Amino acid sequence: MSQSKEPITDMGTDLALLRLLQLVSPGLPIGMYSYSQGLERAVDDGWISNASDAAEWISGLMACCQTYIDLPILARLYDAWAGNNVEQIEHWSQILMAYRETAELRAEERQTGQALARLLGALDIVEMQPWIRKREATLAGVFSFSAVYWDIPKRETLIGYLWSWLENQVLCAVKLVPLGQVAGQRLLKDLAANIPNFVDEALRLTDDDLGGSAFGLALASSRHEMQYSRLFRS
Amino acid sequence: MLLTYATASTPDTVIGWQASLNLSFAASEGKTLLVNRQHIGPLTVQRPFYPEGGICHVYILHPPGGIVGGDHLSIHVNAAPSCHALVTTPAAGKFYRSGGAQARQVVSINVAADAALEWLPQETIIYEGAQLTSLVKVNLEAGSRFIGREILSLGRPASAEGFDYGQADLNWQIYNGQQPLLLERLRLDAKAFAARWGMQGFSACGTLFATPISATSLTAVQALIGEAEGRGVTQIDNLLVCRALDSRSDRLRGFFEQVWAIVRPDTMQRQVCTPRIWAT
Repeated sequence: MSQSKEPITDMGTDLALLRLLQLVSPGLPIGMYSYSQGLERAVDDGWISNASDAAEWISGLMACCQTYIDLPILARLYDAWAGNNVEQIEHWSQILMAYRETAELRAEERQTGQALARLLGALDIVEMQPWIRKREATLAGVFSFSAVYWDIPKRETLIGYLWSWLENQVLCAVKLVPLGQVAGQRLLKDLAANIPNFVDEALRLTDDDLGGSAFGLALASSRHEMQYSRLFRS
Repeated sequence: MLLTYATASTPDTVIGWQASLNLSFAASEGKTLLVNRQHIGPLTVQRPFYPEGGICHVYILHPPGGIVGGDHLSIHVNAAPSCHALVTTPAAGKFYRSGGAQARQVVSINVAADAALEWLPQETIIYEGAQLTSLVKVNLEAGSRFIGREILSLGRPASAEGFDYGQADLNWQIYNGQQPLLLERLRLDAKAFAARWGMQGFSACGTLFATPISATSLTAVQALIGEAEGRGVTQIDNLLVCRALDSRSDRLRGFFEQVWAIVRPDTMQRQVCTPRIWAT
């Protein structure tokens, strides 16, 4: 992709930060809020019934899956966009999708990725046009494109992505467990403190180190697909 | 890419058994033959037999009866176009407690166009303190059919053993031609064994894969599961993935036999023909 339109000045970094804030905002209209990633079923099955259960679930998934799948693949996608390497973009998008354990987790990845591509198109960023309908569209793929496009540094891109995942999971927990607003903010504050370590670890991983599946998540998500009544999409 | 294991080594420990087995199946006049078998070390097969017409049933034998740290086992299964083979084992596989060395098992399965393969080993018991990596890599060509199942039993619940130490790096990689269809990597340790997102302290977990599959089978497996806890099923493209957790592996065995009975007629156009050895 063509590199930045203006030299990196303070104004440039300020703008990059602002673009990142926009990208990770729960107000970004890509439908993230409608997915709970197994959390709804985990609560329904009685696996999670209070704030500390929710903390174990969410922080475990951060350490096991996000650090070993999402973040390192996001970093590789970022490099691929920066180098305009189409083959690598498709390769890592496929690998990411293959790590999604259930139909609903894949649908979420694809739908949020396509929705972000559509939004960027509406914001006159035409490069993402073909990804609106691509089967291999992933949220990480389009998110990393946006980051490169807006000159957001790689490390901050990973931090922002994980933050946005965390915030969404905590909002789900607040709604489902349920938790009070303050308990939710406490959870967010405590779990966010680990994000820099997870990002560092993810950035150190070699290709052979990748991969971290959580049996409980896969099971909860499969069971969510057949849950009779649910708030969140499947 | 991903896992290759080509450079892994355990320099500070004694290398154990190095065993490998190569099996090739091919169709010949309506019957599937085991046309090639080569083995190195203690890994072999019994003479194939035919309890259901032309389908070739084969039992893989591992005479030492268990795998210890430093052992490296590799199994390659090749199913040539239009053949149909079922591979199982006469007894549970075991990974014993390790003094530090890593055990390794690699299974690679190639299913050619229009070939059918069922990989249904009995359960694998992973003792507390075991250190292992296991990879099952399945390559599916266009029009091939595959059913695979894995049941893991951690620790020995009968002797109140859990999985408070040890590490199992367990991988499944299913490819459609060059494209990855499903990648799984469970890193089981004390934390993942106990955690809600992991095995929740249950000593047994299992997964069954079947492809191609129709929506009717998905619905039938969902109906089989009903309100039962610890059972789930999903369909990714035309691959059915059924997962289950239990405190007893024999219950999982029973459950997956029922799932197999549902998916086999769909995937393989055959009613189940339970290997007699499973009953012993």
